[in-house]
Amino acid sequence: MTMYKGMRFVVSPVDSEHRGFYEHARQHRLMVQKCSDCGLLRGAPGAGCPFCTSLKWTWQQVSGKGTIYSYQIVTQAIQPAFRDWVPYAIVLVDLDEQRRVPWRNAEEGEYISVRMVANLVKPNDPTKPEDQENVAIGKRVEVCFIDLDDKLALPQFRLSNEPPEHTPWRAPV
Amino acid sequence: MGNLKDKYCIVGVGETDYSRNSGRSVRALGVEAVRKAMNDAGLKPDEIDGMLSYHGNDSTTAPAISHDLGMRLNFYMDCSGGGSSTEALVSLAIGLIENGNCHTVALYRSMNGYSEARIGGTPAAARPAAATITGPALESLSYGLSSAAQNFQFTFARHMYEYGTTSEQLATVKVIHSEHASNNPKAYYKKRVTVDDVLSSRWVVKPACHLLDCCVETDNATCIIITSADRARYLKQRPVHILSVAGRVGKPFQGMHYQCDPITRQAGYYGSRIVFRQAGVEPEDIQLTGCYDAFTFTPLLLFEGFGFARPGEGGDYITSGVMRLGGKRPNNTSGGHLCEAYTHGMNMVIENVRQLRHQADDSCPRWQEGIHTYDHREGGCRQVKDVELAMNMGWAMPALCSSLIMRR
Ligand SMILES: [Zn+2]
Repeated sequence: MTMYKGMRFVVSPVDSEHRGFYEHARQHRLMVQKCSDCGLLRGAPGAGCPFCTSLKWTWQQVSGKGTIYSYQIVTQAIQPAFRDWVPYAIVLVDLDEQRRVPWRNAEEGEYISVRMVANLVKPNDPTKPEDQENVAIGKRVEVCFIDLDDKLALPQFRLSNEPPEHTPWRAPV
Repeated sequence: MGNLKDKYCIVGVGETDYSRNSGRSVRALGVEAVRKAMNDAGLKPDEIDGMLSYHGNDSTTAPAISHDLGMRLNFYMDCSGGGSSTEALVSLAIGLIENGNCHTVALYRSMNGYSEARIGGTPAAARPAAATITGPALESLSYGLSSAAQNFQFTFARHMYEYGTTSEQLATVKVIHSEHASNNPKAYYKKRVTVDDVLSSRWVVKPACHLLDCCVETDNATCIIITSADRARYLKQRPVHILSVAGRVGKPFQGMHYQCDPITRQAGYYGSRIVFRQAGVEPEDIQLTGCYDAFTFTPLLLFEGFGFARPGEGGDYITSGVMRLGGKRPNNTSGGHLCEAYTHGMNMVIENVRQLRHQADDSCPRWQEGIHTYDHREGGCRQVKDVELAMNMGWAMPALCSSLIMRR
């Protein structure tokens, strides 16, 4: 049984939208779904393409580089498994591969990117959360992995050495 | 709703005490709320033939409640749902009456939201030692992302970054709603608080949720009853007419709405078109609002989404005083989820029904006759003077809203 922070980590063999993601992660590759017909990359797993309805897709490797688009600092262990981590950051990462594709001709000013949620962890130790003072919108990050066993790993993000995409911002709290 | 405008009414409302220790089953709570709404409307059990409820596997069922009150139903449905479900079920109730399945529909929500099933997680004593993470939860629980405050926080933080929205502006929502709650004998938190009280309460999730930015958690059941305007005329209360309703209106990319910019846009952007067009009114016409205030940030985003404030100017709307009792358009005059009780949306609709009857149940000695002092000081009156038109704005998440416009 695969465990992570005392929790059972169960990826069903028939969970076609998740299984490959965590298996590729064990090879330290970050994958997203790519529509086989229109080429849209999907930041969130799904069974069909929101752009063209195609049901055909493949796993596409991405660089794992991106920018913090938004963040939160969790100061209370709402999940008991994270008691040893508080305060910890959860980040919404804008991946480099697909930025601001107009949705439905952008009639409503809506744009689709490829965004992933993960923790921001220490550059030298993905099992430790990054200090909250270092978390800011606009900072550059790269993927890293926590190996869970010999089959599955959990992607995380850490600050990279690249300069920020724009002036970093974090709330004055 | 087009030609259904003014054809349906809310004729009865009821609720249990708002507490943190009901000491009773959700069935016992639910029966009491439905019975109170039935009596409020002056209906007999055999005059209610439809029942709708929503739940998160934490409630009781319509067959149980109708059994306990001796009702024989022609339709019932217990839906999975949370925030924004109240208005959605109002919409379904109208459809059931319109298509001839029923003539009078009770809708309720019953929950021991503090003592049994808390929204942010079950009480510590009841937590299993090791959780299992599987399916879509792999994308969130693996990262310690589980509660509502966390689910919305990316939107809140991005709004603070893009528009300079401040913790002080957010705290003002709690301050104003606490002022309103101080004039509501039913409210769980009746004490008025200050901006400093909010800012000095402990953090739950940064950068937008101190403890006092989060709503109260309570045990309670709530109920409203809907029937046609034709029947409403013969019932006990002055009917409150439904001008329009929108239930669970979404943004695109519901699976993970953070893929889709602008993430600071609330789904009210879409819902507003339905409710204002069908009611034939504009935001400027609305005299009273009820917003789903799960957090201090949610009314701000609803005001922007539904067009009461321009994008990014929700903070100014809040601090302008417009939403305070005595202001141009008071909001959550009962104290809402932040102060009165957490009912998953229904108590704000109940409050607006009572306001439109001019029967806000405050400390004015003759409130039941609609006679008020309009002295809104602490412990005093909370009736909005001469209110004719009210609106509810429901929230389930940034990408999902609901709404209801009602008139006296
Ligand atoms: Zn496609």
